[in-house]
Amino acid sequence: MPLPLTIAAREYAALFRLPVGWIVIALYLFLSGVVFLVGSLAPGSAATLRTFFGVSTFLLLPVCPAITMRLLADELRSGTMESLMTAPVPDLAIVLGKYVAAVAFLGTMLVPTLAFPAILFYASDPAPDVGPIAAGYLSLILTGCLYLALGTLASALTSSQTLAFLGTFMTILAILLVSSVAADQVPEPWGDALRSLSISARVTDFARGVIDSAHVVFFLSASAFVLMLTHVAVESRRWR
Amino acid sequence: MISVREVHKSFGRVRAVRGVSFDLEPGRVAGLLGPNGAGKSTTIRMITGFLPPDRGGIEVCGHDTISGSIEARRQIGYLPESAPLYTEMSVQGYLDHRACLWRMARADRRRAIDRCIDRCELRTVRRRRVGHLSKGFRQRVGLAAAMLHDPKVLILDEPSNGLDPTQIVHTRRLVRDLAEGRTVLVSSHILAEVERTCDRVIVIAGGEVRADGPPGDLSRGRVKPACVVEFKAASPAWLERVVPEATVTLSSLPDAWTRARVEGAGDIREPVAAAAVGAGVALRELHLETTSLERLFIDLIEDTGGKP
Repeated sequence: MPLPLTIAAREYAALFRLPVGWIVIALYLFLSGVVFLVGSLAPGSAATLRTFFGVSTFLLLPVCPAITMRLLADELRSGTMESLMTAPVPDLAIVLGKYVAAVAFLGTMLVPTLAFPAILFYASDPAPDVGPIAAGYLSLILTGCLYLALGTLASALTSSQTLAFLGTFMTILAILLVSSVAADQVPEPWGDALRSLSISARVTDFARGVIDSAHVVFFLSASAFVLMLTHVAVESRRWR
Repeated sequence: MISVREVHKSFGRVRAVRGVSFDLEPGRVAGLLGPNGAGKSTTIRMITGFLPPDRGGIEVCGHDTISGSIEARRQIGYLPESAPLYTEMSVQGYLDHRACLWRMARADRRRAIDRCIDRCELRTVRRRRVGHLSKGFRQRVGLAAAMLHDPKVLILDEPSNGLDPTQIVHTRRLVRDLAEGRTVLVSSHILAEVERTCDRVIVIAGGEVRADGPPGDLSRGRVKPACVVEFKAASPAWLERVVPEATVTLSSLPDAWTRARVEGAGDIREPVAAAAVGAGVALRELHLETTSLERLFIDLIEDTGGKP
């Protein structure tokens, strides 16, 4: 098995062996269930998951930091990072392994939400459009990938899980606010520049069923960039 | 096997390691001995590739720990201080994970895990969660993990930390056994452990090597033999007449007894006994102080202003 997958497999299993993983899943499913009930199942509402996908940008706000907060911070706190970094494992494999585990956990967490479109298909006539739902799920995964990358970076910078959680939470919140509220307050071309960072606008496009390759590239390249910074952060620990 | 050449390491203004050099050969157990904060762990972390030296170089089995870091790390089995482990995993699961990091094939992994579990006496706990184990068992799991890939170099940072006396004896025996065909470096601030386990002692204090050699050779010629006398007399004059040139340190004991430590006069037990009989002085103890590593250690630390 490639080294990143060896690390990912252990980390993924650890998330389910510890209470934090189950609490995160329960919290997310409860909140998304409420959003689905109110936004899609209420009498007179459209047979779409647009509300669910739109709100998920914010639902992932506490969920993703909770998944990533222990990834590297706990290794640093407990001293296991020393065992890991003195094994014949490149630092990049450590970062990728941790990140892949977090993404796999997010994917697992989203599986039960497939019940929402299933209910819509069963309950509504005419049947809902498949395109926006597929695009919505793609947006959810891409947004999650970016949030998880930011969380992995924060976790590499501190040995405190609390600080890693708060750091990720505040960074994502800042990106969401700066790219929406603040973008309207600053003169052009700064406003446009800030709006180009908008996650909500892209998620809205996806929820409409539009899969814009520019949006896909944005999420993937931003995640890759943040992971690169995480690699530098891990590697720099050897040079302090 | 391990070659450390003029290695320096600073953390900010603190110079943790200053020009440390030594070579370690296979089949021997070397002890890195020093007080807390002497630079032992920093030296070990540089050898294992966890930290790079600011200056100097380290080779492990011919691989530089910087330019050939992965290859050097492949040769090393390392037990960090306090044996950090993944507490949510089972013993067997943890060892399997560690073996995977060394890219061992499934069959090799199974054989290696069985071998290490037997050697470290972990059979009874192999399916238990690491977090539920006692400190002693955790230490053994860490040791088993370090031995899995049958490394040429085994580095153990404070392996007896927190163990009870029985476990310490077991660990010492295990470390001695493990030395066959490989280089073992043990760091400790416990003198007795190093004295009983190691063929060679490197005393480190203030980030520098203060002494290096077999435990017996180190104390020879460095520690002045001292004679200890406990007597009951109004004055120590009778003793001073026997050893007029020596340094006599007196301390009062209960019930009018006095303890004298006579340095620089060699083995003076016979003349002291004769003088005591002649002067009618009661004696209850008369012995030549063992020239222990402990004495040497304290002398070396005091030389550097360090605190043992």
